[in-house]
Amino acid sequence: MTGSQPTGVPRGAGLRLPRPRFRPRELGLLAIVATVLAVGSASLAATRALRGEADPAASAGFLADGSGLLSFIGGLLAAHVLLVLSGRRTDQVLLPTVGMLGGISLLLMERLPQSLAGGLGLGRTQLVWLLASVALVGVIGAVVRSDAWLRLYKYSWAAVGVGILLVTFVFGHDVNGQRLTLSVGPVSGQPSELIKILLVVFLAGYLSENRPLLIEESSRVGPLRLPPIPYLAPMIAMWAIALSIVVVQKDLGAALLFFAVFLLLLYIATARVSFVVIGIMALLLGGAFLYQLLPHVRVRVDIWLDPFATASGNGYQVVQALHAFARGGLLGTGLGGGLPTIGGVLPIPALHTDFPFAALGEELGLVGILGILGLYLVVIERGLRIAASAADDFRAILAAGLSLVIGVQAFIIAAGNLKLIPLTGITLPFISYGGSSLLASGVIVGLLIALSDRGRDLPAVAESGPGRVQRMPEHGAR
Amino acid sequence: MDGTIVAIWMLRLLFLAGLYAFLWAVVRVLLRDLRAAALEPGAELGRLLVLESPGGEPEVGAGFSLDAVTTLGRDVNATILLDDEFVSTMHAALTYRGRVWYLEDLGSTNGSFVNGSPVEGTAPLAFGDELQFGNVRLRLERPRR
Repeated sequence: MTGSQPTGVPRGAGLRLPRPRFRPRELGLLAIVATVLAVGSASLAATRALRGEADPAASAGFLADGSGLLSFIGGLLAAHVLLVLSGRRTDQVLLPTVGMLGGISLLLMERLPQSLAGGLGLGRTQLVWLLASVALVGVIGAVVRSDAWLRLYKYSWAAVGVGILLVTFVFGHDVNGQRLTLSVGPVSGQPSELIKILLVVFLAGYLSENRPLLIEESSRVGPLRLPPIPYLAPMIAMWAIALSIVVVQKDLGAALLFFAVFLLLLYIATARVSFVVIGIMALLLGGAFLYQLLPHVRVRVDIWLDPFATASGNGYQVVQALHAFARGGLLGTGLGGGLPTIGGVLPIPALHTDFPFAALGEELGLVGILGILGLYLVVIERGLRIAASAADDFRAILAAGLSLVIGVQAFIIAAGNLKLIPLTGITLPFISYGGSSLLASGVIVGLLIALSDRGRDLPAVAESGPGRVQRMPEHGAR
Repeated sequence: MDGTIVAIWMLRLLFLAGLYAFLWAVVRVLLRDLRAAALEPGAELGRLLVLESPGGEPEVGAGFSLDAVTTLGRDVNATILLDDEFVSTMHAALTYRGRVWYLEDLGSTNGSFVNGSPVEGTAPLAFGDELQFGNVRLRLERPRR
């Protein structure tokens, strides 16, 4: 009939430019973001002028003309225009929310000692990565239409992830006792940032394919309902991978993040609380075992239990962070009003990567960091909402997983800074300094925007392909 | 000097207020979106989208909202009528139990297929699965919310 398409030819394969679709809500929210960031920038400049900071040389001029902020807002607008031109009915809240987080990051990085990053200086390097990240959000959100390339090759993606992990185990070099960084020529990065995306893609593929079986069948052990035995293997593998990351890479944060996202997705796919309970028990058991076995785990937990016992040694970072929160109080000391440096070094070691939340707590106070946590909640809400309106299980679990990666990661590091849980060195998405983290977060939000498309013909499931082959059934004799 | 300090205080409070103004604006958008979703008839448990139908009934691209028990076949009493010579009068039934869709073949002549594999008796389905009865291909989709 008229509507039938030749199979194998993707729809819209011709170079037809879509009709632009205006996004008034996104533009309005971006206007608020720009205003707020301008106020923040003025506040920062005024505070510094008052304090008469002769100033980390490079940043003075950079700040005074506000060029950094302007180019960031320009980047956000460019991404907005790209999304308008794509003509899709996609989410309009994520880009401004991410813009607000990135802008706050920029304001924070501009006031820290610029020498923390070589070359361009901290603020400008962060600006470059932020622009790249926003570009990824815009391009992926505008261009990615089919999810078949993710869905069909889930095991390949998982293999790539494990491969990257192994390469990092072997060739990575240690920074601060953690083997996280991988260098290829002049480029170095943290592969675990990429792996978390691959993990979500794999889990979405695996869980959506096996969801009916996971729900329907279960084997009983005492009062607990376990998943059917054959389906347990990947889950045990997941648990083992998480623990091996702790042992080999000494990266508690990534292990916790991977395992938490895995359990959340398992719950989302099956709605079985018992799976989550078992998972948490397995994690605690493994954790207790590793605590006995590995000194670096023991150090982290001991600091968490009583940082003041070693306030000038191992516990220094955490104690300084608690002091920073205390100095901030309810309304904070104002942007730029935080303790700049003690004797030329940061008040909190690794503040720009691991403790931006403490720095923001000092400068913006309880009110400010609650607002920032609110921004992360918005990302999670959007992700779950996109998941709820997705057309099939794969897209639903993928959207939920992607947003939960951002949310859980923010929670783990924020709670670590606040001494709610043992501190683990992962980044605060869109705020921490660091290229790998910003790019990965950009990819995640870009995919979320692409997945939120509610156009009629767009959620095209692979109509033919190796993963979901459909053959013409052999008809009976007549 | 006092003027500067007051100005700085104003700027600081203004920044925090702006942060919350943004959150407020976002929450309003989110609430509007949720209300709109709540107003839509949300009772459906799943949807069937027609991918291929040489007979023209149902039409390609049509979507069916599913009840907890849906029968498919050439019979006029079937919930969804499939006009195809390779489809039996009462070909198959879709049932929704315990948050899972099941496909039951009702002893059809040419069988029912899920993602290309034949179904014997009853099979659980996932959203996104492709079903084939005779020459008619359908896809089970999540309910629209």
